[in-house]
Amino acid sequence: MNAFAASARHEALNIRRSRTAHILLWVFVGMVLVSSLIGWITNRTVTGVFDRIRAEGLTSQPNPFTGVSPLTYERNTVIYVLLIGALMAVVLGAQASLRDRKSGTSALVLSRPVGTASRLLGQLAGIGAVLGVVLGGSVGASWVVLGIIDAAPLGPEHTLRLLAFAALSWVLLMAFAVLGMLTGLVSRSETTALLVSFVLWSAIAFVVPQLGTAARPVTLLGPVPHPAATGGWFDAVAAVTGPLAVTEQYKRAAGVLLQDRNAQAGDWTGALVVAAALLILVLVLAVTPRRRLRRPLDE
Amino acid sequence: MTAAIATERLTRVFGPVTAVDGLDLEVAEGEIFGLLGHNGAGKTTTVNMLTTLLPPTGGGASICGRSITADAAGVRRSIGYLPENVRFYDNLTLGENLRFFAELSGIRRPEGRIREVLRLLDFEGPYGQRVGTFSKGMRQRVGIAQAILHEPKVLFLDEPTSGLDPEGVRTLRETIVRLNREFGITVFMNTHLLTEVTKTCTSIGILRAGRLIHSSSLAETLAAFPDEESLEAVYFRLESQPVP
Amino acid sequence: MSSTATVARRELVALRRDRLLVVLLGFLAAVTLVSVIVGAAAFRAQLEAYQLYVQQLEQSGSSTRAAAPRLFPLQLLRGSVEYVEILGALFAIVLGYGAVATEKYRGTLPLLLSRPVGRFALPLGKLAGIAGIWLAVVVALTVLWTAAIVGIGSASLGPADLGRILIVGAFSWLYLVFWSALAVALTAVTSRLSLGLILAIVIWLTFVLIIPQLGDTMDPDNQVPGGLFKALEIDSSSEAAVIAHFATFEELRNFLESASPTKHFERLAFAFLGIDDDFNQKPIGVVWSGIWGYAVAIAAAGVAAVAAAALVTTRSNLQRTRS
Repeated sequence: MNAFAASARHEALNIRRSRTAHILLWVFVGMVLVSSLIGWITNRTVTGVFDRIRAEGLTSQPNPFTGVSPLTYERNTVIYVLLIGALMAVVLGAQASLRDRKSGTSALVLSRPVGTASRLLGQLAGIGAVLGVVLGGSVGASWVVLGIIDAAPLGPEHTLRLLAFAALSWVLLMAFAVLGMLTGLVSRSETTALLVSFVLWSAIAFVVPQLGTAARPVTLLGPVPHPAATGGWFDAVAAVTGPLAVTEQYKRAAGVLLQDRNAQAGDWTGALVVAAALLILVLVLAVTPRRRLRRPLDE
Repeated sequence: MTAAIATERLTRVFGPVTAVDGLDLEVAEGEIFGLLGHNGAGKTTTVNMLTTLLPPTGGGASICGRSITADAAGVRRSIGYLPENVRFYDNLTLGENLRFFAELSGIRRPEGRIREVLRLLDFEGPYGQRVGTFSKGMRQRVGIAQAILHEPKVLFLDEPTSGLDPEGVRTLRETIVRLNREFGITVFMNTHLLTEVTKTCTSIGILRAGRLIHSSSLAETLAAFPDEESLEAVYFRLESQPVP
Repeated sequence: MSSTATVARRELVALRRDRLLVVLLGFLAAVTLVSVIVGAAAFRAQLEAYQLYVQQLEQSGSSTRAAAPRLFPLQLLRGSVEYVEILGALFAIVLGYGAVATEKYRGTLPLLLSRPVGRFALPLGKLAGIAGIWLAVVVALTVLWTAAIVGIGSASLGPADLGRILIVGAFSWLYLVFWSALAVALTAVTSRLSLGLILAIVIWLTFVLIIPQLGDTMDPDNQVPGGLFKALEIDSSSEAAVIAHFATFEELRNFLESASPTKHFERLAFAFLGIDDDFNQKPIGVVWSGIWGYAVAIAAAGVAAVAAAALVTTRSNLQRTRS
């Protein structure tokens, strides 16, 4: 087995044994399921009220949910990927690069015929496998729940869209995992590594989008990307910060895949931005100097 | 006899500090070499350079004829290394820990080799136990096991007896001597325990402020100071002499 | 000096010299400032759009006038309050975690525990130190907010406005102390250091991000793009009748939101700053009588967290350490 495969396997095994990782993974899977359930409860309540107010003659409009894609109930998953999923990925990434530094095993690993890139990318592949299983499991469970809500199994198109959404989420989470790995490699302590990752995450999720959209932080917790503000400085700033707001771009691409009414069908800019972010981060990770891997921690 | 380890003007500078200063050293195949010196003398930096963990800022070295700078990967295939105070992956079992290092070393059928090494070290019992539950002495045996899995020609040990109880020290000493005698592994160890050096090593070197002030076989060293009754006394005498 | 005061003093000195903390607090100050700038810029853009609209109306000879957008300066602090709510809480967790973790990790704990220190001296001393730091931070933020509104928002503030900012500052302090105390308790009670931090982060996620987001998700009006009432073409006079049908559902939604101390802090701050329309331009006394329940809830959460930290930061818990 080469160093890449050995590192990938070892990383997946370590995550499987980590209680911290388990807590985060279960919170994530639980929230994804809860989000479908809440979507369903809300839909049923609104439909029930609609039937009554139509009977009372307060509206003559058709039920606003008629013809809505069943994938709509999945839209809140977008926000849980961004909130819990991204933090989970950051923690997994940081733990991967901090583990050898903490236990002193980096000296053992690096005294073997192992290339830095194959070691780090192997670890990333291990994280990727775990994230893949978690996302696959969540989406599988969602597929069942959505089938129950719609009283029929999802058709091939919707199933494919759901799978593509899982793939898109995987790409985003991998980007955050790399971010965690990089901060784990450069930070002097575990606390610093986790904190710097969280700060970067909050900057990407809140500060950058706010600059171009004037959206307040809490508004950005919605599953739909906030439209760019117009007038004044916003026209210029939004052009710069728009592509940098990776999480908003992810929402945009997810909206297309999950057939959100606000999304513009065939708009793949969001997906491309998310993929480009991962690619750039992986390249940065791959060229990490060897000495970075064995710098001892301060705490 | 060919040199297992040979250094030539090996130097490492950290900012204004010269940790290792023009080290010229030769350790013959089959030796158990003890590198002695006070704290901060440059022992660990030397081992880090010889194990390719730290690039030298001057000079060079070769392990079994392979340059530590030009053929670092070749050197890594020839050596085993046990750093000081290593903790391993606590969540994983002994078997899982060793399997990882075996795979990193490119061993094709790791399981068989792991069992073989554990049998050799009389350490098969805790195979399925998590390393996090191990005592310091047990961890050192894990360390030795991972270091010899790939049948290295040279074994580097950094303060291997640090923190061990007398029983642990004796077991480790016996293991080192056995690996050297039965398998012909050259051993290079940093240590502070001079009594252990007397019982284990065949040759010694003394580093002071990054410079090698003495290097010879243990027997010759002791013979050169017939009026001193122990290696400790010889060590302090050599240490007190001016740097050449 | 009592042992609690000694521990508090040492904690304050250590925190003051912590470079990471300075960076974090600088980041918090910067983002709250950015949100005021963005808010002011958005208002200006809105004003420009209005003026353009008026101009077009005049050119077309129309005499109808829409009301001009009005700036309520304190409303510019909405983003800042949300940053304290989200990032402030996160940084408070880190502070609380660090106070216990460094002690456990550095191995200084046995030295401390071998001294004749009281049962509660360590947790209360550490929390007093952290509370001192938060007080300094909140004072700095309050000054910064006031300066930002006056300087960037080009607004004038009366004594009542300053009073409202100070009240929000005081409750921000209480809110931040709550999070730090919670993190101290969790770090003390868990034997694995990072587990305490991760647990605190999971609680943060739940209270700060998930529960408020769930409330938003369950808002019936948010179910349809553009709003449910608009989609159903229900006039505003009938809205109340429709909302009545959602009573149980709304109660459930409100119950969920009320489970989060963050929501209580937000509602209180939004009421005093006039961000909540029901309280905009109302005297402080009127606001207080409407929201005192939230104030009690935040205070209770703070006291409970401090008490929990004091109770679980025991010798035996502190000495159970695995890295």
